[in-house]
Amino acid sequence: MRTLERVDRWVCLAVRGGLLLLPAISRAAVEPESGLGLPRDVSKNGHLVDWLMNITNVFNIILFIIMCVWMGYACLRYNRHHEAEYDHGSARRSVIIALALSAFIFAVVDGTLFVNAISDLDSEVWNYEKVARDPRTVRLEINAHQWSWDTRYAGTDKKFNNEDDVLTWNDIKVPVNTPIYVQLTSTDVIHSFYLPNFRTKMDAVPGQVNRMWFEAKQTGDFDIGCAQHCGTHHYKMKAQLTVLSPEDYRAWLAEASANAKRAYDPEDKVAHWGWEWKEFY
Amino acid sequence: MVAMGEVLPYRPPRAREDTTAYVGMIVFLASWAMMFAAMFFAYAFVRARSAAWPPSDLPELPIALPALNTLVLFASSASQQYGMIAIRRGSSRRLGWALLCTVGLGTLFLALQLTLWMRLYHSGLRPETGGPYGSVFYGLTWFHALHVAVGLVAIAVLCAKAFGGRFSAAKYLPVRLWTLYWHFVGVIWALMFASIFLI
Amino acid sequence: MEAASHAAGAHGEPTSFIRRYLFSTDHKVIAKQFLWAGLVFLAVGGTLAMMIRWQWAFPGRPVPVLGALLHRSGGVITPATYQSIFTMHGLIMIFFAITPVMIGCFGNFTIPLMIGAQDMAFPKLNMLSFWTFVISLVLITASFFVQLGTAAAGWTTYPPLSTTVGTPGAGQTLVVLAIFVTGAATIMGAINYVTTVIRLRAPGMTYMRMPLTVWGLWLTAILNVLFVPVLGAAALLLTLDRAFGTQFFIAGAAGVKGGGDPILFQHLFWIFGHPEVYILILPAWGFISDIIPFFARKPAYWYRGQVLAMCAVTVLSAVVYGHHMFLTGMNPLLGKGFMTLTLIISVPAEILFLNWLHTLWKGSNRFSSPMLFALGTVFVFGLGGLTGLYLGTIATDLYLHDTMWVVGHFHLTMAAAAFLGSFAAIYFWFPKMFGRTMNEPLAKAHFWISVVFINLVFCGQLVAGFSGQQRRLYDPYQYTFLQHLLPLNRWTSYFAFALAAGQLLFVYNFLRSVFAGAKAEQNPWEIGTLEWTMAPSPPPHGNYWPIPTVLRGPHEFANPEVKKALGRDWIGQAEELPSTAASPARTPAASGK
Repeated sequence: MRTLERVDRWVCLAVRGGLLLLPAISRAAVEPESGLGLPRDVSKNGHLVDWLMNITNVFNIILFIIMCVWMGYACLRYNRHHEAEYDHGSARRSVIIALALSAFIFAVVDGTLFVNAISDLDSEVWNYEKVARDPRTVRLEINAHQWSWDTRYAGTDKKFNNEDDVLTWNDIKVPVNTPIYVQLTSTDVIHSFYLPNFRTKMDAVPGQVNRMWFEAKQTGDFDIGCAQHCGTHHYKMKAQLTVLSPEDYRAWLAEASANAKRAYDPEDKVAHWGWEWKEFY
Repeated sequence: MVAMGEVLPYRPPRAREDTTAYVGMIVFLASWAMMFAAMFFAYAFVRARSAAWPPSDLPELPIALPALNTLVLFASSASQQYGMIAIRRGSSRRLGWALLCTVGLGTLFLALQLTLWMRLYHSGLRPETGGPYGSVFYGLTWFHALHVAVGLVAIAVLCAKAFGGRFSAAKYLPVRLWTLYWHFVGVIWALMFASIFLI
Repeated sequence: MEAASHAAGAHGEPTSFIRRYLFSTDHKVIAKQFLWAGLVFLAVGGTLAMMIRWQWAFPGRPVPVLGALLHRSGGVITPATYQSIFTMHGLIMIFFAITPVMIGCFGNFTIPLMIGAQDMAFPKLNMLSFWTFVISLVLITASFFVQLGTAAAGWTTYPPLSTTVGTPGAGQTLVVLAIFVTGAATIMGAINYVTTVIRLRAPGMTYMRMPLTVWGLWLTAILNVLFVPVLGAAALLLTLDRAFGTQFFIAGAAGVKGGGDPILFQHLFWIFGHPEVYILILPAWGFISDIIPFFARKPAYWYRGQVLAMCAVTVLSAVVYGHHMFLTGMNPLLGKGFMTLTLIISVPAEILFLNWLHTLWKGSNRFSSPMLFALGTVFVFGLGGLTGLYLGTIATDLYLHDTMWVVGHFHLTMAAAAFLGSFAAIYFWFPKMFGRTMNEPLAKAHFWISVVFINLVFCGQLVAGFSGQQRRLYDPYQYTFLQHLLPLNRWTSYFAFALAAGQLLFVYNFLRSVFAGAKAEQNPWEIGTLEWTMAPSPPPHGNYWPIPTVLRGPHEFANPEVKKALGRDWIGQAEELPSTAASPARTPAASGK
């Protein structure tokens, strides 16, 4: 069994390595998940979300057990054979205990979640200044529409909506360990750009440009989903995210950009859906 | 304690009934106030989002005609209130005349609104091509006009009853309720006039 | 029973079948009308849910039995049909099942009886509200038979998908109109409830002596009065966009002169939508806040705190709505504000919860079916509330938004709690409403099946969401990262089918008892509120004469003085307590506490 596994792994690596060396577009498979629980986390910031999930799980399990024990004991012990205590619970002491207990639970549970969430948002998840300043950052524009994802890369001149822009369809390639800054919109209805393995999503709303960012920690292929009901084929609006090594990515982008220049058609207005990179203040 | 089969007397005393009806009317108007508030919220939202208001190629809204209409509606509220004073003093006939004035002025209001809509429609502002600007204008004013129309029908009925001597100083609850409604409609118009036409 | 309580024509007493059962102004009759309508549409909404579960368990396979309705596709649910199924499941359950049962039926039935009034403040308006509701039922039903099918944009009806850009055809327009009409019916009812509680309380029935059921329903009515109009505005503007070509919510390629803003709709919708979830749960909170003390034979723990908690939730309900919109690209500061308020609104709910648990503690708990359902409600609401923490916290909501976690959360807190709470109310008030008793062993069996499978089904949804499965997917297994969830979804579906089957116990019990149940006593539960102590089962037209004078609160149980004077553990709200000096049972040995 074990030898077979090892052989299997080497074969996979060889195949994957071979595929990744190809500059051409390759559609290697997304690895399925297994077991019930969070999918693989391959992002830089996913661990922050996972930590919050886990701490909330802990709090909830404790509170749930307390609730079950309290209800169970009260029902079993204080049944019809027990004489009820005449207590309106409005005595000062009772009120103070009830309020104090609520305040305590609120401070500990909600307080922990609040403090950590704010810190996560400010330092990482919504910290676009950091991402914008980073020289390595790759910028993408995404146009969601019924029912696929169009992505635009600025190409070597780093300007959007001109002749060397690379356009891909349902296929996003990004370099590993690099912040990817995404601006997104939609032309028809609201969609939502969902990266389960990065613990994040953002709505694509017609008439406005939204933004989000992510950074992959490892190479591979991952699912992109739509997370906002957008019509009949919402369920099929999937794309694939391919995370490449920086060299492979550069090679791919250079070739794709060259191809785009050759294929550029100034008359094709529909293809020029891009926008000048929006500055948010 | 009530036994099965016992027949029960039913009507609560008159005074309680009047106040109860008044409270009900206040709650009813609170509901409508929230609906109009939501529509004003919608207006503020789309206006804040748009670059130019009105958009450069659409006609600007006039001020004179709606201003006149505002005065017309205020006058109708005044006549309505005069009617209230009259019936409190016991005169059902004077109430009838006052309500007739209200109906007349209210109808004038609707006629002037219609003129406004037609004028703007012919100068190029239409609901289906006016974008959010046209949508807000027509949506809000139509909805308000609907409320005016409903009020007019009710007050016309009250007017007929007043001339028929059906109200007295002790018995004029429907007049009270619909006066409240009519003033409400006037206030909403004042807010619309200020926010849609003036600013 | 019926013949005796209706003398011909006296004091406005209706006599013909039409005026007694169809166009009645008696709040008790209108309540039953709402109950029947609500239960029928509960079955319809439940059937739609079973179809969703079938599709996830056996994607693309023809649906047994119900497949006959899908003749155009050979019994298979197509992606287009699927959208309508989940949309109408949500809309029907919220507006045409839970609202008529909890608010239309029990609001109408209990409010006048429990406050000592003879009827609602505006009986004719009450009748009008029911028939307006029926118009909306007609519109909803009609929408199913339209060429392009019924509404398909989700119950949330987000534009531009819900405009003609995304969902052309008369079906969606009919449904939006139906929502507007049912909103009008709800507001009519709410005006009645609010005014009745303010104006028609019996002498001595102060606000702080009202049963908590009345508090729950009254606060619900206040929320209805204030926030259903906002939905009305949203529905109106959406109808203008669909029918008159306006551009409140259309943007993107179809936008004219810059277009409107789809997010505006979300604001309007959720300013209504979040109070709506409290509208759907406050009645249940009211029911169980009364039923638990009644069956624990103990006063409600910190009654005033429960009232304050319900009021606090009511007041805060409108300012937390943004937590449904964290991912729309809103200003981060606004988002953080909504997160803060959302976490705060959990505190009053916590207090209510603690009070229920405290009421049970050291009580003398009897586990009749209303109590079982009340405890079930407490359990699912507790569990559901805990799952909300992840959604109120923005960082975790980024992952969980629009996944099955949200669906599991709101099904537990809203659907399961309202469902179980409604059954608690039905089993509890059935004797008073129909003058007959329901079969108790069947009721208990109904409880155990319901509570076990409800938890299994909705926990199954939670697990699917935790694993990342999005909402509203016709075929989740298109995604590689979700393919392994087929066994989970299949088992959840089996549990759902079992849950549905278990409801047949209720259907049989209810129908049999309404028409052939054993006669009920006046006060089988031995509790002190006015409807049980001062009126027969069922109460006559006009409820009470003379109007009773109230002397105390509704949960006066286990009072030693009462035990001494009357020999029982409860006393009626309007019952005189003979002074202990005159009580023959008092002996020197028994004196002192």
